[in-house]
Amino acid sequence: MKYEVVIGLEVHVELLTECKLFCSCPNRFASEPNVNTCPVCLGFPGAMPQMNRESLQQALTASVALNCEVALYSYFDRKNYFYPDMPKGYQISQYYIPLGSKGFLEIEDDQGSLKKVGIGRVHMEEDAGKLVHEAGGEAAARSSMVDYNRAGVPLIEIVTEPDLRSSEEARRYLEKLKSIMQYAGVSDCKMEEGSLRCDANVSLRIPGDQAFGIKTELKNMNSFRAVEKSLDHEIKRQVEILNSGEKVATQTLRWDEDKQETIVMRVKLEADDYRCFADPELAPIELTAEEVEQALQNLPEMAEERAHRFVEEYGLPEYDAGVLTASRCMADYFESCLTLYNKPKEVSNWVMGEFSAHLKNAGLEADQAFFRPEDMAELLKMIDEQVISGKIAKKVLDKAFESGKKPRQVVEEEGLLQISDQSELEAIVDQVIAENPDTVESYRGGKSKALGHMVGQVMKATRGKANPQLVNELLVKKIDG
Amino acid sequence: MELRKTTVHQTVEAVLEGEITAHQLIEKTIKNCSVLNEGLNIFTSIAGVDALEQAKAVDRKIKNGEKPPLAGIPVAVKDDLCYGVLPTGLGSAAFNEFMSPVTAAVVERLMDAGAVVIGKTNLDDMGQGSTTLSSPTGSTVNPWQAGRTAGSAGAAAVATGICMLAVESDSGGALRQGASHCGVVGLRPTTGRISRYGLNAHCSSFARVGVTAFSSENISGILDLVSGFDQRDAATAVCREGISEIIKTPGSEDMTIGYPVTAFDHLEPDLREIFEQVRDQLSSRGYRIKEIDLGLLREGLQAYYVLALTEASSNHARFDGIRFGKGRETDSLEEMYRQSRSEILGKEARRRSIFGTFLLSKGNYDRYYRQALKIWKLVRQHFEAAFNECDLLMLPVAKNLPRPLKGESSYLDQWSDDLFCAPVSLSGMPSLCAPAGQIDQLPIGMQLVGPPFSEKTLLAVGSTSGPRDMGESPLSQ
Repeated sequence: MKYEVVIGLEVHVELLTECKLFCSCPNRFASEPNVNTCPVCLGFPGAMPQMNRESLQQALTASVALNCEVALYSYFDRKNYFYPDMPKGYQISQYYIPLGSKGFLEIEDDQGSLKKVGIGRVHMEEDAGKLVHEAGGEAAARSSMVDYNRAGVPLIEIVTEPDLRSSEEARRYLEKLKSIMQYAGVSDCKMEEGSLRCDANVSLRIPGDQAFGIKTELKNMNSFRAVEKSLDHEIKRQVEILNSGEKVATQTLRWDEDKQETIVMRVKLEADDYRCFADPELAPIELTAEEVEQALQNLPEMAEERAHRFVEEYGLPEYDAGVLTASRCMADYFESCLTLYNKPKEVSNWVMGEFSAHLKNAGLEADQAFFRPEDMAELLKMIDEQVISGKIAKKVLDKAFESGKKPRQVVEEEGLLQISDQSELEAIVDQVIAENPDTVESYRGGKSKALGHMVGQVMKATRGKANPQLVNELLVKKIDG
Repeated sequence: MELRKTTVHQTVEAVLEGEITAHQLIEKTIKNCSVLNEGLNIFTSIAGVDALEQAKAVDRKIKNGEKPPLAGIPVAVKDDLCYGVLPTGLGSAAFNEFMSPVTAAVVERLMDAGAVVIGKTNLDDMGQGSTTLSSPTGSTVNPWQAGRTAGSAGAAAVATGICMLAVESDSGGALRQGASHCGVVGLRPTTGRISRYGLNAHCSSFARVGVTAFSSENISGILDLVSGFDQRDAATAVCREGISEIIKTPGSEDMTIGYPVTAFDHLEPDLREIFEQVRDQLSSRGYRIKEIDLGLLREGLQAYYVLALTEASSNHARFDGIRFGKGRETDSLEEMYRQSRSEILGKEARRRSIFGTFLLSKGNYDRYYRQALKIWKLVRQHFEAAFNECDLLMLPVAKNLPRPLKGESSYLDQWSDDLFCAPVSLSGMPSLCAPAGQIDQLPIGMQLVGPPFSEKTLLAVGSTSGPRDMGESPLSQ
């Protein structure tokens, strides 16, 4: 039986604010537990929450970037449940009226055409703390500790309509969402660090059916790849269940990265009852139509616009522009390089090529690398100045990327300076000519390729340091006499 | 100097003039307090050395030429208001040693003005009630009659002359019931007038911080000091641009007092008679009395309890034993919650949390909570409509005489005592409880309710209405 896959995603994104959502504690990672806390985010009696406007501004920006209708009047609700990482016994969230609704973003579907993915809601809420377990020992096994540094950090939850039809579409949606959030400047969306978290709902139905099948919920995926894989795994599992004539059970499953499979967390008999009601301590959230319009006007350049500009302004091929703007920090990196070294295509080649390959190997984003735009510019200038060859430059980048040393320092320490000293090269050229009489002959016989072979010999003898252009000239001069 | 017989203003003058030092005044107060507290159980903790240190600091300021507007005035603070110097008990047996990192905004303001905190006053279980009968440390005795409750301990602290001012919370009527039962004056302010930062509210929608004193003049003298915008309490945003007071001077112009006739039908004849006397007195003093219709009292009371219980179930969820309480080692998280919460919350607080959880649950939200919200809105509209017909209105405070300390009264009976106070809480309007008369020596208070920010008018009217002096409460010696 052929089934249609129906996927909806719930994504939590941490906002890049100075302060937590309801107090003035810094919204920043701290290695020491419970240092970024105060009576408000610890839920002390008598301490009252105050919404910070910066969070609202960012949530508004995110909403308009996702083409949402923005509620001019909304408010915070309390979602009541007990868990040790939640200081107040409830989470402050927006349940009844989300800030943004009826939005969409566009992705390529599996047939390669543009598809709108509906966004049902974008709402603001506070994050919870984290449970910490000490390794080893019986006492450690019996106890848990709580770190409230993250408690009260502003989040937005972005919920799609059940519009996604494959695990690949789900991944493309996440990539697009990440790009939009990054370009809008509201989140860094680092899934590995938890600033983007994704839960998925998935069900199957017979193509053409209006009703949805029974869905399961997937949690604990910590990369886009894991989302795709766990969905594949779950779709396969549901297909097998349906094919055997059984019914899918309403469940929450957890993705186990080590075993590469989904594991049942709990069976849901009925939907959770969070007893939501309006938080009586907080004022309603009121916006004017002008503020919403302003947010739309102030929306930073998104990936497509930037790619378009890269083609127009820098004369880059569309392919380059697309690759460079895939993430905002890559595009920022590229443009930072250009301010120091204004040859767009050269920079593009190096950023897309060597630099990206290193990032991928190291699992880093462009803004996390030791190798800064000024280093890239210096490297490219050294090639232009014939201090090093392009080939050596790759070696220099390798070393500099790993060690964090400046490219010029690497060149000096490793003795990679290009040999442009004519007398030094002449001796080697003479030797290569003497050792390869056949090649010399075939060159004289009109085979220009033979020259390249001899240049290669010289480069080999100098371990790549010879100035290739000079070697070329010397060879021609000596053979042609 | 006998605090009962002087005003705040006179006392401050005496301290500033050097007739008595703040230190002497507070030393005397603490001594008096310790003696009286034995029999009346007013305080959960008494400041002692800390209060004397504060008083010395005030004296130093005066020596340096400063004139603190409340120099040396002894103040009682209800124990659901956080104060970093004394334990903040919250009305919980498990919080008897809790030192809060927070000090309530109202306490800060009073202390900045030179007032000295004498102690924390007793309250019901997690602050939920208007009798102190459910207090984990026992009820506060009414200074007028040993066998009855005081209603609120802050009122008792003022009535006995221990303190000149008490700051107290009032959600469904605790402050007003206390003032009524103890024969003093208590003001529940307009929503947003006085910051609630530092108050452990069981019901945030209706909890207000108010002031109790021996006379309206004493409250008038300090109202501006404790009023106004505080960025830590969102509700005070209404005062961001200043307060637009409704000030009318009694006698100087035509003032109409609304008399909601049917409300008084809920009272026994002897009680009703007292209010009729006050009404006639006011009339003879030149006020226009207008009979008005004010319905929805009973519905307002019910709506108040639905909303108060649901909010309590959420507000008190934080007391889960993880950060507060004794820290139990149990086999499961569930069991730890159960043990900790049983220790922190008393019987009344547990009852309210359980009811509140039920009322918010799926299905019940629409059946009860949503209906209560609708009634809330209607009650507000009723009061607004009433003030189209009159400048302020009078209402009873308590339906009954203060509850006996011993003997059975069901929780529902106690809740229904808030019949006249809870609807006023829903209205968001300010209410002044001032003495109206006495029955068998027990004081009876009335509410003067006005439109938002009419406190100064209420206080002015309050100072001219009711009996001039009810004498001294027998147990304040």
